[in-house]
Amino acid sequence: MEHLVPNNLNRRSVMNVNKIYKNTLVLISIFLGYFSYAFGIELNMYYPVAVGGPLTKIVDGMVAEFEKQNPDVKVNAIYAGNYNDARIKALAALKSGKPAQLSVMFSIDIYELIEQDAIVPFDDLVNTYEEKAWLYSFYPTLMENGVTDGKVWGIPFQRSTIVMYYNKDIFRKSGLNPDQPPQNWNELVDYGKQIVSKNSNTWGVMIPSTGYPYWMFGALTMQNNQVLMNGDGNETYFNHPSVVEALQFWKDLGSKHNVMPSGTIEWGTLRKNFLEGKTAIMWHSTGNLTTVKKNAKFDFGVAMLPESKRRGTPTGGGNFYIFKQSSDEEKKASMRLIKFMTSPEQAAHWSMATGYMGVSPSSYQTEALRNYVKDFPPAVVARDQLNYATAELSTFQTGRVRKLLDDAIQSALTGNESPKQALEKAQKSAERLLRRYQ
Amino acid sequence: MKDQIRIFSIETISSWFLGIIWISPLLYAFWAAFHPQEYSTNFDLTAPIVLDNFIEAWSYAPFSRYFLNTFLIVTFILLVQFVICTLAAYAFARFEFFGNKILFYLILIQLMVVPEVLIVENYKIMSQLNLVDSIIGVGLPYVASAFGIFLLRQTFKSVPKELEEAARVEGCKIFSILMRVYVPLAKPTYLAYGLVSVSYHWNNFLWPLVITNSVETRPLTVGLAIFGAPESGVNWSIISAGTLLSVSPLLLGFILFQRQFIQSFMYAGIK
Repeated sequence: MEHLVPNNLNRRSVMNVNKIYKNTLVLISIFLGYFSYAFGIELNMYYPVAVGGPLTKIVDGMVAEFEKQNPDVKVNAIYAGNYNDARIKALAALKSGKPAQLSVMFSIDIYELIEQDAIVPFDDLVNTYEEKAWLYSFYPTLMENGVTDGKVWGIPFQRSTIVMYYNKDIFRKSGLNPDQPPQNWNELVDYGKQIVSKNSNTWGVMIPSTGYPYWMFGALTMQNNQVLMNGDGNETYFNHPSVVEALQFWKDLGSKHNVMPSGTIEWGTLRKNFLEGKTAIMWHSTGNLTTVKKNAKFDFGVAMLPESKRRGTPTGGGNFYIFKQSSDEEKKASMRLIKFMTSPEQAAHWSMATGYMGVSPSSYQTEALRNYVKDFPPAVVARDQLNYATAELSTFQTGRVRKLLDDAIQSALTGNESPKQALEKAQKSAERLLRRYQ
Repeated sequence: MKDQIRIFSIETISSWFLGIIWISPLLYAFWAAFHPQEYSTNFDLTAPIVLDNFIEAWSYAPFSRYFLNTFLIVTFILLVQFVICTLAAYAFARFEFFGNKILFYLILIQLMVVPEVLIVENYKIMSQLNLVDSIIGVGLPYVASAFGIFLLRQTFKSVPKELEEAARVEGCKIFSILMRVYVPLAKPTYLAYGLVSVSYHWNNFLWPLVITNSVETRPLTVGLAIFGAPESGVNWSIISAGTLLSVSPLLLGFILFQRQFIQSFMYAGIK
């Protein structure tokens, strides 16, 4: 538009007397335009909401605080649905040539985003020694899903692990020590049997198998000392004997030991079942912690998941990504925003408001989070469990590979196929999908 | 005797059965929304009736603005659709021109394309037109509706030619024939199509989510999705309250105009 103005002006100046006046006006407007271009940066940030509660308000509050400290940057924090919707929205904007500058997206979207050439590695954006140190200030296990090919592509933000919530009142009623949750798979079964025999309407344990079965399964296999995929995202180990054994154990909880309902267990209603005492133990995301704390009418505890050969859980949740199609200034401003949002104080605030983890050790050193943890010890279980955690299932063609595993798990749990059959089939199909990435 | 047989006929039983299945989610939503959270899966008739869920749901997002946006989007789409579909249908129904068959088949083919496939292409066009994050941008991809053109063309075709000729004798030109003969006779079709269009766009989610960025343009469905919470599981009481809030205008409309709705669908179906 600007280049039209001088033309317009020339034509007018021939027939008009106000030439000088208009010239000045144009100069001023050009100067102002330049001024706002050089000193004001506008960032569009997409973020998904994956846990309950008015999260959009918390994000808006954090962004407002950032703008107050950085008056030269304007941030439009745009709520983009769930993880799936956020990815669709980001990729649509990207293909139109007008992408956002940064986004929070599912940590496991990394390979798809790289394949689409959508994001830049953070290694290319950090220059100073201090910034490089910042890249390594987060919990290493949270970085696993954000690092591939020796580069950092995602910075952890809304991250979770699976923990075990248990109802201490039911433990007491069943003659179990309420401060001693099951430590291993055998105890889980034994305690479960005792709970079921002492209570008529209560199950021992529920592990959800709809929604994110591959995630829960990642915990069971890790406990059996086997990961589901390699770090390059082009190999899966679905038919490894330890993986098959893990699925057999999951199935046996329901069909052999009778401590869990057989068949599948609904993800969306599990918290409700736990809060109503229909199960003594549930495995669920730490993202539930704040809601359970608010709504539980009984004494509850949170513990690490039990072990078979070792402890284990996958991490989960969303990372920050910076999009390639943005100017250098915008990338720099995006870095500032991400640094702010993941700074110890903000991470602590975010963790207390949502139940997600503080992403760096220093966030647990802040006074706010230290005090919170003192009053409410369950808040550190997820963090302590990070020592045993592994990456969430994430490969090239992630959506399809994940679906293969989900289907295998469900068909084994419902008894359509044996765990071994189901997993062999999933592994074969996954190998076909991943062949061209090897 | 006859009446008794009718009551127990297979048709009656199965339509009751289907009706109950159809309405049960709505009944559940009413139950969960008006009772405290601990009763959302306990059906206790003595449970107290409260409005807390509505208040909490309302505070999650700027719903009044979302209502306005949804209303604007739906009205905009409907009005433009009426104009475009009427003109196109009139042309296809009553005029012979080069390639009219092929053009009409092309439009019919559009019926088979799922709109979600076109999200990226549509987004590109909207961003070239500078309409990303605007109410018009939400509506524009839907204004030339293949279904609307098809429906109106069939209706116009069924209008007796004699009426048109009589109008011509009275001195009507092409456009006034359309306005005075065809449009009034197609009223039930307009109503039926309007209902389909309004309910579709009232409920549309993915496209509005992708193309909008700000509170000023986002419709109700996008606001409602905040309650989805896939990672932690859903709070049924609040999500039910939010759902009732967003569907209530449509629901009220349906209850008030039920008879007209059903008649108009039947009328449009017979043609």
